[in-house]
Formats: sequence, C-alpha cells, structure tokens
Amino acid sequence: MDGLVKRYGAFTAVGGMSFRVEAGDFFGFLGPNGAGKTTSINSIVGLVHATSGSISVFGHDNVREWREARRLVGLAPQEYNFDRYLSIRDVLLYQAGYYGISHRSVRARVDELLERFGLKEWASKDYLKLSGGMKRRLTLARALVHSPKLLILDEPTAGVDVELRLELWSMLRALNAEGLTIFLTTHYLEEAEELCRNIGIVRAGKLVALKPTTELLASGDSLQDVFLELTRR
Amino acid sequence: MNTAINMVSLWTLIKREMVRSLKIINQVLWPPVITTLLYVFVFGVALGSRIPSLQGVSYAQFLIPGLIMLQVIDASYGECSSSLFQMRFMNAIQELLIAPLSATEIVLGFLLGSLGRAYVIAGLITILGIVLVHAVPQQWGIFLLLITIVSVLFSSLGLIVGLLAEKFDHIAVLTTFAITPLVFVGGVFTAATMLPPALRSLELINPIFYMIDAFRLSYTGQSYLSPALSVGVVTTLAVAATAVAWRMVAVGYKLRA
Repeated sequence: MDGLVKRYGAFTAVGGMSFRVEAGDFFGFLGPNGAGKTTSINSIVGLVHATSGSISVFGHDNVREWREARRLVGLAPQEYNFDRYLSIRDVLLYQAGYYGISHRSVRARVDELLERFGLKEWASKDYLKLSGGMKRRLTLARALVHSPKLLILDEPTAGVDVELRLELWSMLRALNAEGLTIFLTTHYLEEAEELCRNIGIVRAGKLVALKPTTELLASGDSLQDVFLELTRR
Repeated sequence: MNTAINMVSLWTLIKREMVRSLKIINQVLWPPVITTLLYVFVFGVALGSRIPSLQGVSYAQFLIPGLIMLQVIDASYGECSSSLFQMRFMNAIQELLIAPLSATEIVLGFLLGSLGRAYVIAGLITILGIVLVHAVPQQWGIFLLLITIVSVLFSSLGLIVGLLAEKFDHIAVLTTFAITPLVFVGGVFTAATMLPPALRSLELINPIFYMIDAFRLSYTGQSYLSPALSVGVVTTLAVAATAVAWRMVAVGYKLRA
C-alpha cells in the first residue's frame, strides 16, 4: 500500500497510509473503531475507490490489473453476507464460478474445504440453518475456495465462543504454515498477539506503528498497553 | 485481458439468477400463468364474445400477444430490480464485487438471467394461447426479437431501479406509477382503431404501445404503426437503458464507496 488516501467529502478515513506485507506473513492490522481499518481492507479488495495512492497485490496494481489482483485475494468479512438462494455447497461452487473457475474443476476443492471446515454434513442445507460458528467457518471456506495467496480476515472471531475461537486460531495457523499470507484485523488483542508475526497499528487513518510482534512487546508491556499508548487520543 | 468476457463467470451469474427464479417459483412462474388464464377467461371468453374480431382474429386471440408482453415486461423488471436490490440489501453483492467480474459481465449476467425467465414465461403463455384460444404466432422472428428487446429494456430498467432503491418500497414505484398504467393503456386490451382520434395520438407517446403493436404483428400479421418504427423505438430505448445500467455498475454507483 503506497500513500493510500480515502476521503468521504470533508472526512478523511485514511490519510496517506503506506506499508508492505511480505508474502507468507501473518499480519495484524489493529486500531480502534473508525481508525480506517475497514476502509483500508475495502480498498485492497476494490470495494472502495481510493482518493489517491496505490495498492499492489503480489506485484499487480489493484486498479490497472484488477482482475489479476482480485484473483489473488480472498476476503472473509465480519458480517455474514451469503447468497440466501444457494445451499452451502453452492455458496462455494458459485463463489469459485465468479472467479472464473468452473464447477467441474473446483468440485474436489469444495469437498476438501467442506471436510476441513466441518461442513460436509450440512452441504445441501441452507446457510440460515447453520449456527454462528458454522457460518464463521463457511465464511472462511468461501474466502479460500479460489485458492487465493492473500487471505484478509475482518474480525474472524467476533461473537464466537472460546472453543471455536481456539479452533479457528488453529485453522489459521495451519493455513499460514501452508504458505498463505494472512491479513487480520481484530479487536481481540490477545488474538493478534497469539497469531501475528508483524503488527500495524492505525489511529485516525494513519499508521502509528509497524513492527514485528516481538519488538512491540519487547518492553515487557502487554499488547493492550502498547495499543492504548499508541492509540490514545 | 481485463476487457475480455470470462464465460465461466458470466454463466455462473446467469445460473445464479435461474436458481433464484426456481427457488421462488410460486412468486415468479405461476402468478403470470394464473393471471393470464383469468384474463383470457374474463376478458377473452366471457366479455370478448361480444366484441367483433380485431385485426382479423377473435378478441380472445387478439388478447394473447398483449398478455405475453405484459408478463414479459413484469417478469424482466421484477427479476432484475428485486434480485439486485436483495443482493445489495443483504450485502451478498459483495461476492460479485470482490471477484474479478467486470461491469459488462455483471450486467450481462443479470440481463441474460432475466431474459431466460422472460422466455420461459412467454413460452408458457404462448402454449396457453395455442391450447385455449388457438392463437398461434405466425412470424417467429418478430416474436422472438420483440420479447428479447423488451426484456432487455425492462431488465435494464430493473437494474437501474435496483441500484437507485434505498428500500423495497422504492422498487414498486416505477411499476405502480409508470409501467402498469402504461401497459394497460398501451394496447394489451384494445386496438388503436377502437380509440377516439385524440386518444390514438396520445398512444404515440406511450413506448409500450410500440412494443405491443409490433409484437401483435407476429400473431395477426397486422400492425397500426410501421414495424420498423416500433422496433427502432424499442431498440433505442433498450440500448439507452442498458447503457445507463452499465455505466452505473461500472462506476460502482451505490456499490463501491
């Protein structure tokens, strides 16, 4: 991300943000509500048109080479936004289809994801029948169906119980170990501390810290203390 | 690379629209069939027997092409407006927006999905017309051409309204205050020759009159206006509406911030 600026009228949501996430990283993107995290994520995936600045995804500019850039990104949004007319299996098949992957060639991948995320028995059901935890897993499976190189997670464990949170952490660690680059936003600081190798902290649309997690915590303070110190208004 | 149509993506979106139609079949397929049956019975058979033949056919046969157009218009507008608005409302549209789909693919996907629904409904009503009142299309070229252009026009209007709408209620505004009145006075139930001269002139500013008049030609072999003029008017409107819908999607109107 190079000098990203996003203004909504007189309000500046992101005020010139630049940083780089290395391939294979588990990157935490933290900040209080309204700091510009979601606007930044939405700029990466093309849901927001940047006022100025640029974003490159594995070398592909996300405006000029938007098709290539979007193929490399999977987004797991915080809110459930599944197509209500599709079964759980079809949610995955159709998402792959939108990425240009035919149903026939992605069927094995869909079965693998349904198995991996414990959704196989529910595959023919409507997503409305799933519990909150299962919907969360389906969100992840959908974001991965086209085999992206970068997975963006917007509050992936918001509203889930401790058991599922630990299960999701384990899944995310495994995905990262397989080489997937993960970009995580979360309000659970212990989650970032537990999972992320590098952390960026934003306040009022600007990056105020960008360091390896170990360096951020080198003083012996908890991530919560560091976060509050950096984001205090 | 960025401008080529990805056929897999496009077909996926078309199929999604068809799946949606099948899931709500009681809302989209049976109502036009039942409504048509009622129109044919009440206006065609019961009252129509008192009306002399029009354009060389019985009144019931005269009704069928108008009823097909009525349902094609309704189905096309309804499919695109409610499908797109629902996707926006539930934010499922994000699945399309973050995928490598171009504005052309998105608009074509909705239009062709809607066209599929229009063909099915038109086909069913055509069969009803043949079975019930022996109304058989004579010119299949103009029959298919008109259904296609009219469906594209109203599907595009549906997309435009689906993007403009802030709540479900807004979708009904165009139907209630423009489409339904214009369809009903546009020649579904009456021939232009049945109207007084002043009203006949007024029909010329109703675009739906051009659609029904030209479409009826495919059944009766007769039309009030020149078919070339009618097809030209409808095609111009369809191209304009599609261009506006495409532009709105391309700039991300109410889709991307």
